[in-house]
Amino acid sequence: MPPIRDVMPAFELFQPATVADTLGILDRHGADAWIMAGGMDTFDWLKDRIARPKVVVDLSAVTELRGIKDAGGGIEIGAMTTLTEVANNGLVQERFPLLAQAALLVASPQIRNQGTAGGNVSQDARCWYYRAGWPCYRAGGNICYADTPTSVNREHAIFDADRCVAVNPSDTAPALIALDASMVVKTGGQDRVIPAEEFFVGPGVDITRLTMLMPGDLLTAIRIPATWAGKAHYFEKVRDRQVWDFPLVNIASAMNVSGSTIADSRMVVNGVAARPYRLTAVEAAIKGKARDKATADMAAEIAVRGAAPLRHNAYKIPLVKALVKRAIRGDAEWTS
Amino acid sequence: MDFLTWARSPWGDTIATHISWSLFWAALVGGLLFLLGHGGYMLFSQHRRRDPAEVDRMEAEHKGLPAKIERHGIVARMFHWIMAASMLTLLLTAFLPIVGIQFAWVQWHWIAGMLLTVSILFHIVHATFFMDFWSIWVGPKDIPEMKIEMMREMGREDLAGPRPGKYPLGNRLYHLAVVVAGLVVIASGVLMMWRIRNSITVRNPYIMSDLAWSFTYVAHGLMGVGFVGLVIAHIYFALRPEKLWITKAMVFGFITRREYLEFHDPERWAQENKPGPKVA
Amino acid sequence: MADSKPPYKLIGQNYTTPDLVAKVTGKARYAEDFRADGMVFVKLLLSPRPHARVVSVDASAALAMPGVHGILRASDFPAPPPPPGAPPRPAGAPGAPAPPAGAAPAGAPPAGGVAAPVAGAPVAAQSGAQRATPATAAANTTAAPPAGPPLAAEIALTDEPLYEGEPILAVCADSEELAADAIEKIHIEFEPLPFVIDPLESLRPGGPNGRTEGNVFAAPNMKTLKWTAADMAMIDQGKFPSGAEAIDNLSIGDIEKGFKEADLIIERDHQQQTTPHMPLESRTAMAFWKNGKLYLHGSTQSVARTVAALAGWVGIKQDELVLISEYTGGGFGSKIPGAQTMAIPALMSKKLQGRPVMMRISREEETYIGRTRPGYTGWVKMGFKKDGRVTAIDAFLIEQSGPYRRQGDNATTANLASLCYQVPNMRFRGISVATNTPPPTSQRAPGGLQAGVLFEPMISEAARKLGVDEVAIRKLNGPSGQAVFGLLPPLPPGAPVPANRPRQKVTSAFINEALDKGAAMFNWEERKKRSGQRVGSKITGVAVATGAYTAGSIGVDGLCIVQPDGKLIIHQGIGNLGTHSLSDTARVIAEMVNMPWEQCEVVWGDTSKGLPWSSIQAGSQTTYAHTRANYATGMDLRKKIQEIAAKDMGGKPEDYDMANAKVFRKGAPGGRSMTFGKVAERAIQLGGVYDGHEVPKELNAMTKGAAASLVGMGLMGVARDNLPRDGQTYSFLAAFAEVEVDVETGVYTIVDYLGVADVGTVMHPHSLGGQIHGGGIQGIGHVRSQKLVYDPHYGAALAKRLHHNKPPTMLDIPLKMEWAAVELPDPSNPIGAKGIGEPSIGGGGAVIMCALAAAVGDGVLRRTPVHPEMIATALANGGKPTYEPLTSFI
Repeated sequence: MPPIRDVMPAFELFQPATVADTLGILDRHGADAWIMAGGMDTFDWLKDRIARPKVVVDLSAVTELRGIKDAGGGIEIGAMTTLTEVANNGLVQERFPLLAQAALLVASPQIRNQGTAGGNVSQDARCWYYRAGWPCYRAGGNICYADTPTSVNREHAIFDADRCVAVNPSDTAPALIALDASMVVKTGGQDRVIPAEEFFVGPGVDITRLTMLMPGDLLTAIRIPATWAGKAHYFEKVRDRQVWDFPLVNIASAMNVSGSTIADSRMVVNGVAARPYRLTAVEAAIKGKARDKATADMAAEIAVRGAAPLRHNAYKIPLVKALVKRAIRGDAEWTS
Repeated sequence: MDFLTWARSPWGDTIATHISWSLFWAALVGGLLFLLGHGGYMLFSQHRRRDPAEVDRMEAEHKGLPAKIERHGIVARMFHWIMAASMLTLLLTAFLPIVGIQFAWVQWHWIAGMLLTVSILFHIVHATFFMDFWSIWVGPKDIPEMKIEMMREMGREDLAGPRPGKYPLGNRLYHLAVVVAGLVVIASGVLMMWRIRNSITVRNPYIMSDLAWSFTYVAHGLMGVGFVGLVIAHIYFALRPEKLWITKAMVFGFITRREYLEFHDPERWAQENKPGPKVA
Repeated sequence: MADSKPPYKLIGQNYTTPDLVAKVTGKARYAEDFRADGMVFVKLLLSPRPHARVVSVDASAALAMPGVHGILRASDFPAPPPPPGAPPRPAGAPGAPAPPAGAAPAGAPPAGGVAAPVAGAPVAAQSGAQRATPATAAANTTAAPPAGPPLAAEIALTDEPLYEGEPILAVCADSEELAADAIEKIHIEFEPLPFVIDPLESLRPGGPNGRTEGNVFAAPNMKTLKWTAADMAMIDQGKFPSGAEAIDNLSIGDIEKGFKEADLIIERDHQQQTTPHMPLESRTAMAFWKNGKLYLHGSTQSVARTVAALAGWVGIKQDELVLISEYTGGGFGSKIPGAQTMAIPALMSKKLQGRPVMMRISREEETYIGRTRPGYTGWVKMGFKKDGRVTAIDAFLIEQSGPYRRQGDNATTANLASLCYQVPNMRFRGISVATNTPPPTSQRAPGGLQAGVLFEPMISEAARKLGVDEVAIRKLNGPSGQAVFGLLPPLPPGAPVPANRPRQKVTSAFINEALDKGAAMFNWEERKKRSGQRVGSKITGVAVATGAYTAGSIGVDGLCIVQPDGKLIIHQGIGNLGTHSLSDTARVIAEMVNMPWEQCEVVWGDTSKGLPWSSIQAGSQTTYAHTRANYATGMDLRKKIQEIAAKDMGGKPEDYDMANAKVFRKGAPGGRSMTFGKVAERAIQLGGVYDGHEVPKELNAMTKGAAASLVGMGLMGVARDNLPRDGQTYSFLAAFAEVEVDVETGVYTIVDYLGVADVGTVMHPHSLGGQIHGGGIQGIGHVRSQKLVYDPHYGAALAKRLHHNKPPTMLDIPLKMEWAAVELPDPSNPIGAKGIGEPSIGGGGAVIMCALAAAVGDGVLRRTPVHPEMIATALANGGKPTYEPLTSFI
C-alpha cells in the first residue's frame, strides 16, 4: 500500500456535550475510539493516515471539562482547559508559577490557544521515526529505528531506554510531577486519582503508550495540592527555536527552602526518557543541604548517573547537569 | 485467523513483525487440553506395569548391579535445572506481558536467554565428549521400540518387546523436539540481541535485511509458543506418578536397581560390571 | 546617467502597493483559492524509496472505484527537450564568472548579451543547474571528456524515482479523500537501486552511486569518481582531505605565491546544511482547458518567464496557454518559472476533456518536491598580510547536488569571495555529488549565503589575530568602484597563456560607504568593546559582516497605455512574489510622465491581459532590469505625449512638459493644455506608433503579442531596455549584530541587528526595509536552525514538517532590527536602482556566525545550523568542537 499523507481517512465523529455521554461512547466503542482534545497531536496522526480509528470522540463541546478552580489552597484544572488559560490564570500564576511558565513555553501561541492541559500530558511521543509511521517497537513492531549506528537521534532518550528511545515531549508534565499533582481518570463511572508520576509509563512496562490511559479511560482533571504553592519554583526549557519547538531538555523544580537550606524538593526533567524523569536521587541528596554552588555541583553529578547517550544526544548529559544547577541556583548570582 | 502480524517497512514493503499472539493462546490451550486428555485417559484406562514377578526374577539374576544406579551425573543435572530455570524465565518474561501482566521484561528475558544459550553450548560439548552421545537420539532402529512404547502408553505395560536403553523413547523424542525448537529459538534470539541494547552486542538492527528479520522474528515466536506446549507436557509427565522415578533421578541423580531393571533394557544400557558409579 | 539624487516625486516614497489591501484582508486569491464547476482533484503517489525503478503498476482496483477519473504517469508527458548540457550554454566573456547562480536561469540574458525570448528549454528554465555559471560550464568542458549519453531531464512524474518522495503517478478523483483512498489501492512494484545521502559516502571506494550513470556531475553529464583509501581515512578521522581529486577547477593568480606572502594562514573544515525553500504557499496548481487553450492558476515567481517553461512541460505552444498567478506566497528561488508539477493538473485536465483539475500540494509534499539549497562539505584556507590584506584563498567545496544535475552553488561561492575580498590569488576546486535527496535549485542568493557563512568568520578571526579592526579589514579588502573579480577555468593543455584573460567587473560597489554608515549607526567603536565580555552565564558577541550578490539584468521590455479616461495603465510581466518590485518599478513610468500615482493602475498576473516580456523574478534582477525598461518606456510615452501635444497645440515636442495628467507648454502649467485622456483619444485617431499599431521590431515576441492585444486602446508607451551597461550589477550589504550566548546551555539570543545596503537609489523604503530584514532573517534561520535531516539507512527524510526543518520564528530574531541604505545611485541605471533580495541574506547569516565566534571563540563553530549544544559542549571541551564535523543531513 503506497504511503499517502495529509488526507484524513474517514471516521465516525462524536461530539458529546457531557462527561457521562463521553464515557458512554468510549465504553461502546472501546479500542476503536480515539479521544481528541485540542487536536494538536490527533490531527497529525489522522492526516498522516497512520492512526485509523473508526470513531473519533471530540471533547471540545464538553464544557464541564474546562476551567480552573480553587481546591483547598491547591487547584483543579479541567482537562480541556487550554494551555493559554493555564498560563494566564491568576491562581496558577500566584500559587504555581512553575506551571504557568511551563504552559507558556509550550509550542506557539496558536497551539496554546487550541492545545489543552489534558492533551499536553497525554500526547504521544514525537520520535520522527515513530511518527513517520515506521513499524517500530512503539508502533507494535520489533525494531527501534532511532537507535542504530546511523540513526539521527539528537532528540532522543538518555535515561531508561528499553528498546525504544523516544522521549516524552511534554512541558507541563514535569511541572505537574514536581508539584505532586494527580490525574483524575474516569472509566465508565469509576473514578481513579492517580499520582502524576505514576500516570506516565516507560517502554519497559508498556512500549506502545506513554501514559497508563487505556481504551475507555478519560482524563477529566488535574489536581494540584497546596503542598508546593508559594515555594521556590524553577522552570526552564532548552530548545532550538524560541517558539514552536519541543524541548531538547526541560526542568521543573519546586523547592522548600528555609533560610538558606533546602528542606525538601521535587525535581523533574523531561525530554530525556520516555516518561518525565524525576530526579529522586538528587532530591534526597540535597535535602537539608545549603542552597549553594557546592550543593548544585554535587546534585548535577548525581542527576546524570546511569545516563546512556546515543550517537547524537550525548549533549543532554551536560545539559541536564547545567539545568539542575540552574534550578538550584534560581535567581542567585553565582555561575558555574 | 491471521497467524502473523504484518507491517509496512519504511520502503512500503510488507513485512511480518511477529507471530500473532493468538498462537500463544492456541499453544497454551492446546497444551492444557492434551494434559487433561492424557490425564483423564490414564485415570480411567487399565494401566499395567511389568509383572513384579519378572522384575523379582531379574533382580535375582543381576546380583552384580549396585543398589543405586546413577542415571544423571551432577553436571548433567545442573545443566538440566539451569536450563529449566532459564526456560521458565524466558517463557514467563515473554508471555506474561502478553496476557496483561506488564513489567520491564526485556532485560530478564535476554539475560535468561544468554544463560540458556551458554548452558546449551556447554551441554553440546559435554554430551558430545563426556556422555553417551547416541543414547539420546532417535533413529529408524527405534521403530520397533516406538510401536511397543505406544502400546505401553496405551496401558499395555505387560507386552513383551524392546525396552528402552538409558532414555525412554518418549524422552528421546521430546529431546529431539527441544533440540529443534531450542536451536531455532536460540539462534533467532541471539540475532535479536542486536536489536536491543545490552552489554554484549552493539545495537545494530541493520545486520540483516528487513525480510531476514521477518523470518527471524516469526521463527522465534513460533518456537517460543511451541515451547509453551512442550514445557506444559514436560512438567506434566515429570509429575505423573508412573514417571516420578525419572523426575527423582533428575533431582538426586540415581535410580534403584529395581527401577533400572523394571524400565530399562540392560542390554542397551549396560550397568553391570562397572567400576562404581560413572559420573555423567 | 544619474550622478546625484534627482528630485523624484514617487521614487523613494512609501505608498500603498496595489496588492496590499487584498492581501491583508484575505481577498487575494492564490492558486488554491480558485474553484470551478465540476472541479476534481489529484493526489500524488510519492516514491517510498530513495532510488528504484518502477517494475509494475496495477491501478485496476483504484480505477474501478466510483468517482475515480484516471491516473497520470510519466509516459503521459511530452518528451522533455534535450538537456542543456548538450549544446554549450551561452557565456559572456570566455571563462568569465557569471552573475552567480540564481541570477540567470536559462534564457536569462547572458552577461552583457542581448535578451532573447526564452529558448524553449522549459526544463532548463526550471532548474537552478541550467544556469550554472559560464565559468564553471567552461571549467567542466576542460575537466573531463564527455561520458555516456546525455542525462535524462527531470519531469514531473517518473518511473525511476531518484529520491524519496519523488512523484511517480497522480490519481484524479472527485475529492482528495477519494483520490487518497484510491492511491492506497494501487499495487506498485519496485526494483531497488543503490542510493546515497551523504556525498562523502559516494566518494568512498566501493561506495554507492546516486545514479546508474555515475556519482558526480561532470560536463556534459556524469562520471564516477572515487577517492583514495587515504582520503577516506582522513575523513574517518574527521578531517577533510584537501588534496583529494576534484571535478571543477577555477583559479586566478598564483596560489602558492599568495600563501608564501601571507603572515597569517587560517584553515578550516566546513559543513553547511541543505535547506528546503519552504515558501508559505506550496506549489499548488489548478488547470482547465477551454477553446483549445490551457488556463492554469499557479504559483510562480515570474509570470512572463513562466509561460515558455510551462508550455514546454505541457507540450503546447506559448499562445495556447493562459497563466494566472496574481499572488504568490513566496518562492525563494523554487518557483522561478513556476514548478514542473504544474503540468500535472494541466495534463490530467486534458485527459478529462478539459475538466478543471486542482492539485493541492501539502507541506510534506512541498518538502520533497519544493527544491532545496545544496549543503556543502568542504575546506578553506586563507592567507593574510599583517595589515589584514587577503593574499590567497584556496577552497574545496563538495555540494550535495541532488540527483538530477549539477547545481553549482559552490562555484558561485568562490566567485563571490573573489569579488568581496578582491583576492589576487585564489583557487577553487569542487565536486557536485549526486545525492538521492530533493533536487536543489537556486535558493535566495544561491552560493551567496553559503559564501558569507563560510568566509566571513575567517575574516573576523584574522582581524582578531592580527589586531585589525573588523570593519577596517573589510574595507581594506572590499571592492570599490568598478571592481574586477572572478575566477578562470584552466586553459587547455598546451594552449598559450594570453596576456590578459578577461574577468568581470561590477557596475558599482559602495560597500565601504555601507560599512562606514553602519559603523556610525551601530556605534561600532563603542560596542565592539563589549565583545567577549561575560556577565553571569552570558557572553556578548559583537560583529560585522558583509554580503554581496547579483542585482540586475538588462534587455527587457516595458508596456503601458494612457486610456481615453485619463488613466495610465502599466502592464507588468513581473510576478508578484511579495517583493513589491511589481509596482515599485511601475512607478518609474508614472514618474517619467509626472503622473499622480492615484491615476495609475498596474496590470499583472494574467497573461490574457497583455503582459510585456520581463526578467525573471530571481537573481535580484527585477528592480534594476525594470527600472531601466520602464525608464525607456516612460521616455517613449513622454516623447509621444509631447509629439501629440506639438501636433495639436503647435511648437516642437520638446517645448512641452507634463504634470497631473496634463500636457502643457514648459513653464506654463496654467496655460493651454491637453489632458492625457484627450491625448489618448488623439493617439487612437493617429494610430501607427501612438496606439500600438506599430511597435519597435526589437521587442520580445511576448511584448509584441501583448501590444497587439491592446492596439487602439489609447496612447501606448512601449520600449525595450537598450541602455548600455559596462559590467555586472551587484548589490552589497554591511550587517552588524550583537548576540548573547548562555555558556551553560549554549542557548543564544540575537540582541540587535542592523543591515546597511548598497542598493543604489531607494525605490520604496518600506519594501527595501522588508527585504533587508527579510533576507537577514532568512540568513539567521540558516545559521540557527533550518535543516533537512535524513535517515541514511533508508534514505528517508526525517525533517518533513515545518516544526522539524525549523525556519526561524519571531522570537529567534532580535526585537530590534534596523536598516539603512547608502543611497548612492548605480551609474549604469538612469534611475540608479539595484536589487536587494539576495544581497541581504548572506550578510545576515554571516554576521551571526561572526558574532557567535566573537563570543565563544574562533574555530568553535564549523558547521551550521548552530545548535545550542554545539556551543555548550565545545566550551566545556576547552573550545574544541565535539560535534561530527563532516556528516551531512543530520
